[in-house]
Amino acid sequence: MHLFSNLQLKIQAGDSLAIIGRSGAGKSTLLSLLAGLDQPTSGRILLNGQDLTSLDDTTRAELRSRHLSFIFQSFHLLPELTALDNVRLPLEIRGDAQADQLARLWLKNVGLASRMQHLPSQLSGGEQQRVAIARAFVTSPALLFADEPTGNLDENTGREITDQLFRLNQETGTTLVLITHDKELAQRCQRCLTLHQGQLLEGVI
Amino acid sequence: MTLLTRLSWQQFRRQLRTTEWRALLLATWIAITLTTLLALLGDRLERGLLRESAALLGADLVLSSQRPLDPQRLTALLESTPVEFAEVVQFPTMLSKDEEMMLASLRAAQPPYPLRGQLQTQPQLGHSFPQPGELWVERRILEQLGLNLGDLVDVGYQSLKVTAELVQSPDRGSGFRSFSPQAIMHAEDLAASGVLAPGSRAEFRWLFAGDAEPIRELTQALQASLLESERLFSLTDDQPMTGNALGSALNYLKLAALIALLLSALTIYLSLKRFSQEQHSRCALLLSLGMTPRQLSQVYAYQFVYAWIGLSCLGLLSGALLDLWISQWLNQLLPQGLPQPSTWLYFSGSALGAVMLFLLGLPPTLQLAGVSVTRLFREEELVNSNWLGRLLPLLCLGLLALTLLAFLRTPVLSLGLLLILLVVGSVFGWVAQLLLLAASRVLSQPLRLGRLLRMRMRQQRAWHRLQAGVVVLLLTLLSVIWISRNDLLEDWQNQIPADTPNYFLVNIQPFQTQPLSDFLTDRSIHSQLYPMVRGRLLERNGEPIREGLSAEQQEHNTLNRELNLSWSDQLPAHNQLVSGDWWPAASQEAEISIEQEMAQVLELNLGDQLLFDLGGVLVEARIRNIRQVDWGSFQPNFYVIFNAQALQTQPATFITSFRLSTDATPLLRELLSEFPALTLIDIDQLLQQINLWLGRLADSSALILLLSLVSGALLLIVTLKQALEQRRYEGALLQTLGASATDTQRLDLLEFVLLGLICGALAAFTAELTLSLIYVYLLKIPASWHPGLWLTLPLLSASFFSLCGFLLRRSLSLMECFKILRRH
Repeated sequence: MHLFSNLQLKIQAGDSLAIIGRSGAGKSTLLSLLAGLDQPTSGRILLNGQDLTSLDDTTRAELRSRHLSFIFQSFHLLPELTALDNVRLPLEIRGDAQADQLARLWLKNVGLASRMQHLPSQLSGGEQQRVAIARAFVTSPALLFADEPTGNLDENTGREITDQLFRLNQETGTTLVLITHDKELAQRCQRCLTLHQGQLLEGVI
Repeated sequence: MTLLTRLSWQQFRRQLRTTEWRALLLATWIAITLTTLLALLGDRLERGLLRESAALLGADLVLSSQRPLDPQRLTALLESTPVEFAEVVQFPTMLSKDEEMMLASLRAAQPPYPLRGQLQTQPQLGHSFPQPGELWVERRILEQLGLNLGDLVDVGYQSLKVTAELVQSPDRGSGFRSFSPQAIMHAEDLAASGVLAPGSRAEFRWLFAGDAEPIRELTQALQASLLESERLFSLTDDQPMTGNALGSALNYLKLAALIALLLSALTIYLSLKRFSQEQHSRCALLLSLGMTPRQLSQVYAYQFVYAWIGLSCLGLLSGALLDLWISQWLNQLLPQGLPQPSTWLYFSGSALGAVMLFLLGLPPTLQLAGVSVTRLFREEELVNSNWLGRLLPLLCLGLLALTLLAFLRTPVLSLGLLLILLVVGSVFGWVAQLLLLAASRVLSQPLRLGRLLRMRMRQQRAWHRLQAGVVVLLLTLLSVIWISRNDLLEDWQNQIPADTPNYFLVNIQPFQTQPLSDFLTDRSIHSQLYPMVRGRLLERNGEPIREGLSAEQQEHNTLNRELNLSWSDQLPAHNQLVSGDWWPAASQEAEISIEQEMAQVLELNLGDQLLFDLGGVLVEARIRNIRQVDWGSFQPNFYVIFNAQALQTQPATFITSFRLSTDATPLLRELLSEFPALTLIDIDQLLQQINLWLGRLADSSALILLLSLVSGALLLIVTLKQALEQRRYEGALLQTLGASATDTQRLDLLEFVLLGLICGALAAFTAELTLSLIYVYLLKIPASWHPGLWLTLPLLSASFFSLCGFLLRRSLSLMECFKILRRH
């Protein structure tokens, strides 16, 4: 069975791109492919000119850790770590000596300067997602994948989070790939594609 | 501390609050405690029981000779192997006081004799061995000579003061020497007594005690230089009855240990399985944050290390405390208390704990490292796609099994049991699940909840299979242990019939046989007198008997000492003819009857001519038949019985055995004053010893049984608790769909009762099957049915399930239901 057919997509560095579609349309699978988490059965995916499909698992994982970040619908913070430690974690994993400084900077940047030592359970949903955003940006990724980032938030908080996400996206020049079924959110991206019956169509349909 | 270490520490602390991790810790703790306890207690028991045997022997190794032993040889031996040493001479002698005389077995030695066990006296004196000038005698001597403590007794030319009654003494000597009334004196008095002249009939013994390795070396050295007149006694071969009991006791404990450890390992395995399933999302996240699989494995490995360190300390403490408590309790049972265990054994528990955690934790940890980040976007099952992922758990389980087998040191027995357990467990899990489905199908018609039950049974297939496998296994094992324990005891007790003789009379002179027979018959004491001639087996069919026999065959009792030979015109009533026929009374040709085992070991056949040396007189006789002898029958038993014609001209003494009620003292006094030269042997002592053995075996196995029960119950509760979480989710779903809280409660109860009943019945069946196999092939007892099992097990397991379910279950409000549903 072919999930996608005749799929062609080119994303410019610094772009923000939304992929929308109904649930079950294959958005998450497409994201997995784009992020190099899955291998397509045919076709190629290039990142900075490098063919992801020709790399082995280890190299791909390395590439991913160097250039990619994720933001999830359900935040996925480690519950036993403070906000600060959650943000520090990806830097610590990479052995970055400035982990603490950078993490503090990014938490301030998302407006959580006073909540650094709080555990996720002591934060509101919006605050948790902001920690997750800080965590995603702290490694200065070239490419950021956001999977329904406002899906678990109420409308107002969702809007705040979205504002913040697009502001940071512009400030850092990060490429943003946003997966959502929220048309309003999608339209805030520079480009918007709809995944429909295995094909990507320009615009919101 | 780096963030990664901190992460694993905090992760660990957080997981302490989860059911899986708690169960894992508890099970590991139990495993470590159990291993520590078993290692310590096993060591104590093993050494205690061995020492008990050693106490009978008075040493770990005894060299006994009919002639004085060469001191130069001793010097050479002790130079090469450092062991404790003591020397003793034992000889029959007449003790006399005034007009009274008595034949006693006198030992002359000096401290540190005996090397194992100790002399017990009444009253207890400040010294553990008679000082020069003192004599300690057994009660029979006190009674027969009419002695009081402080009286002087003549030993040859020497007068010794009786300062204590000898209550118990190890190293009573071999053969009938050990049954004679005993007395002990200091070796310094020996020369002055003049009783031991060159050529006197005496047994010279060297006693050795020490660690296992030097003793083994010494045994080899002595065996290599063993003379015809010498015999070597070690712990294993001297007391066949207690030796066997020791072996079975230890094997029994080890098998019980294997079961308990297996249950713990299963609990750990199941907990880890659940734990790793819960960790998939977390691992996917950590990987998405850039963590390498290697770092991820490290984070989890640290967690296991924290757990191990904590549990090692805790397990060491609890294991050692339990060991202390139990061995104190056993100390009251054992006459001389249990020895201290070796120090390194204190760490065997934590070592095994490490192996267990590592081997059981490795596969799920590596699996976690292979989690896909896509899990964060869409639900997917983790599959072990590569062969290594599939093979590794098996490999680890195999290694764990090997470790357990190595720990228990009974590989073949344990491996057999292990395989049976695994196969039976999985087969019965499967069978139980099928039966559950069938039962729910039958119940779905009459019961209102029947349809839901049927749905539940189908949904919970996997869990039922697992749970039933474990429960059936557990109940089966416990029943098997319990019943074989009781039957083992019964079997042992049946081995000693109620009319077993409790006295032996030896040294009966030919002229005394008639008056003695009359004496016994007058008092309605049933007994038969057997003549006894001492002789050595020299040749078979004209060839030296040792020729063509292997070293092992040459070890046989009959070749290494003078045999007690007898003659009779009839087959002794308590022997059984195996082949050949008994000779007619008038048979003129010299003919003999051979004991079956001797015939087998020495490869003797009907018609073979055997040549015996009876103190210088050579007698040759033809084997006419082979007899089976029950050496445990406490009847006079002989390896070789001649026909009367062949032997009756030889000088002989007679022997007999009979049973007397416990308060037969006046009769014994009468007997001894009428026949003063006879030696009366009281074997009540020996029977008491066997009884003590039985009790101890039962107690120690009951102890291990109890521990297995605890770990088994834990396993049940753990799996039940895991299952109950699932139940809560299902219950919540059903309630939101319109069922009442009572309905879901009844559904749970129905399921658990049904599961319990089926598991119980299956367990009863398996237990019966296993017991039959054990009976027929291992214990060689005819198999029998145990109707009690069929009633107890289903009831027990059904009530256990329901009770646990009732205790662990909380009823759900509709509000909670929604919460639970949202969480999933």
